[in-house]
Amino acid sequence: MRFSCRKLLGAGLAAGLLMGLAGSVSAQTISYSEAGALLAKSCGKDIEKYCPKVNLGGGALKDCLQERAAQINPQCIADYKTVVASLSARLAAQAAVTKACRGDATQFCQGTAPGNAHYLNCLNAAKKVVSKRCTTAITNAGWN
Amino acid sequence: MSRSIRNTSLLSLAVAGMLAGGLGSANAQTALSGDQIVQTMGSAARAAPPGLTAALIRQAVQQHMIDNPGMPITWKPLELLDNLAQIDVQIQFALNSAIIRPESYSTIGSMADALHHPILGGYKFVVTGNTDTTGNRKDNLALSQARADAVVEALTTTFSVDPSRVEAVGLGEEALEDVKNPKNPINRRVQLINIGKYLPGK
Repeated sequence: MRFSCRKLLGAGLAAGLLMGLAGSVSAQTISYSEAGALLAKSCGKDIEKYCPKVNLGGGALKDCLQERAAQINPQCIADYKTVVASLSARLAAQAAVTKACRGDATQFCQGTAPGNAHYLNCLNAAKKVVSKRCTTAITNAGWN
Repeated sequence: MSRSIRNTSLLSLAVAGMLAGGLGSANAQTALSGDQIVQTMGSAARAAPPGLTAALIRQAVQQHMIDNPGMPITWKPLELLDNLAQIDVQIQFALNSAIIRPESYSTIGSMADALHHPILGGYKFVVTGNTDTTGNRKDNLALSQARADAVVEALTTTFSVDPSRVEAVGLGEEALEDVKNPKNPINRRVQLINIGKYLPGK
């Protein structure tokens, strides 16, 4: 079993899978909380059975699931990959907001003091006029 | 203000309700969301004393143990963190260990959602571990540190939170939530506490 991240594919899949669950609008990514919930739902039983002394962080869980791949249910393996990909996609989406929204911030948020998410608040308040590129970036970052 | 958030937060009650059954019977289905954490941490905006660090909190815990020998019922709990913006989080661990149970992965994800939000981007945080008074005081301190470490490790690896913004501190049984009932399970909790401005490179 390999946990390579095919980020875009995985992210789309993740968004599709969780759309109903989260009742979300149209974000292409899922939250960290949703990712944790998906992992628990699909892998929780196997983790408690086959990897009971292994913690979530630091790569140990991944290693254990890999070692026990023959016993782990396929849905867990598939969803684990989805979770890894979706976490990468969310992180990338958050990093992309500044660039995607720079023009809109200049145009619509003049005089905004930096820090404390003031620009984000301004852009969200002005979303009717803000570019689709920027609002999409904010939605995918989970900050709307 | 601080008291109301610390002691009667709907969030901590709701989350406590998920595991303690009956304790916070209000709404067991309400999971803690990142947005709720952001609101609590951001709206409070109570300034931490300048220079507060995880190391200083650990020192205060050691001092508290020296200054307060004897039975828990006779202590005043550690007050150092009382006035800081904070939220109680209930994380399920395996018995007497620091292994996070899968049912709590989502809650740790909610903490990550909050820590990734720009409103909190300029702040540093401490994740504390707390036990009740069942068992040995020193062992409880060690267990609470190991549990806080496990949460921080999950946040900073699996959930990609910047490790320079969050540190783990075990409080053992030194900062009880319910002093009169030191074995009340409500005392067993993880806290996320805003310890002040994050100044990169300092």
